[in-house]
Amino acid sequence: MTIPENLFENLRLELRRGCLTLAVLAQLRQEHYGYTLRKALDEHGLAIDESTLYPLLRRLETQGLLASEWREEEKRNKRFYRLNSDGEQMLGQLLDEWNTLNAAVIATLNNPQQ
Amino acid sequence: MELLDRYLEAVRKHLPWKRQDDILAELRANLEAQLEDKESELGRLLSKDEAEAWLKQIGSPMQVAARYLPQQYLIGPMVFPMYWFVLRTVFLWATVIYGIVSVVLAVTTGNYDAEAIVGAVLRLPVVWMNAAAWVTLIFAGIEYGATHYPEKCPGIVSANMNWSPASLPPVTVHPPVGMKRPSYAKAVAEVVFGYLFLVWWLLVPKHPYLMFGPGAAYLLASPYQLAPIWMIFYWWIVVLNSLQLAWNCFDLWSVRWQRPLAGKEILFKGLGLIPMVQLATLHDHVYVLLKRPAIEGLSIATINDGIFKLASIVCAIIALQLVLEIGKFSLETHRNSIARAR
Repeated sequence: MTIPENLFENLRLELRRGCLTLAVLAQLRQEHYGYTLRKALDEHGLAIDESTLYPLLRRLETQGLLASEWREEEKRNKRFYRLNSDGEQMLGQLLDEWNTLNAAVIATLNNPQQ
Repeated sequence: MELLDRYLEAVRKHLPWKRQDDILAELRANLEAQLEDKESELGRLLSKDEAEAWLKQIGSPMQVAARYLPQQYLIGPMVFPMYWFVLRTVFLWATVIYGIVSVVLAVTTGNYDAEAIVGAVLRLPVVWMNAAAWVTLIFAGIEYGATHYPEKCPGIVSANMNWSPASLPPVTVHPPVGMKRPSYAKAVAEVVFGYLFLVWWLLVPKHPYLMFGPGAAYLLASPYQLAPIWMIFYWWIVVLNSLQLAWNCFDLWSVRWQRPLAGKEILFKGLGLIPMVQLATLHDHVYVLLKRPAIEGLSIATINDGIFKLASIVCAIIALQLVLEIGKFSLETHRNSIARAR
């Protein structure tokens, strides 16, 4: 990997990190277990590694934003996650922030002279 | 699938033992569901190569397990500025204290020959490594406490906020246009090369080939030997370079390299002139002696006269450089005072 490619990769990962958390929280307004969540995000165009997503779920649960339970489905025990009330509140705040940022970036792109 | 079992067992080894069963059960469920999907898409079981490629794409067991660890770094961005500051300060004081202790030990034990000094200088990196290891260990502990028990150590979080704009240092006058600004690389190079030069210089008496190469053997066999004045000259150079090294170390670790003391160059040039003046004003111009003065036919007067002329020329050059430096310094001081008055 060349230095500019490496730099792009680092900046891309930095940009994605916060967006992924937001997308995971948004997707977990519906109940999912790890693999179906990954598939759902992938279908929306947001590919995410297993090694990133599964620990992220654990972290969000430890931070008190998700609720989880073990349940049997298709003869296999799976851990299902869903947004709890604190998570819903946090998602609302983060979406407000996201919309503000998005609007600001678009405004900057459209009017670079100002 | 045997390969998946082996993979999960390898991940287990790197997981925190309290949560490993729970994490592995979840990881297994997710990966098995993924595997089932892949196999139903293909309409057959995954081949060995395909399974290996799939697991490889997920990541090495250590990497996967590391993502589940609560702390991904030893010292985080909140603690790092304080860690860096303390590390620099400890390096400086470790060097100063080590220097003082070495001198006191050398004087009290009477063991201060070149070999003992070289030994003391060569042990300095070990002192630095020990200091760095202890500081890092302590700050890793602080980071752990701040991450895991933030409510019990709020001081760490607020430490960076308790500062006052009034305590900021005054703006310094920038060097005039066209003059080089000091660089960090130059400050580091000065310390590194100063240190290497000092080690080399201290090793020369014991190993003259370091200075003269293969010619050292001829010098040893020659009928000449150096006069005592060279010993005084030698130790002057040791003292001067040690001083300069200590000063450069202090500048580097206290971040003063960005604003070096204007008179530093003049001071060291002036001190450097002292041994040269000693050489050039030596009584009777005796720089070289005969090992066995009784040998007839050997004259050292020409050699001594040549060395005297050389010492006088070098002395004059250094004196001229010193005058130029003083002139430059006076000019800069004058310019700065005008700039401040504006």
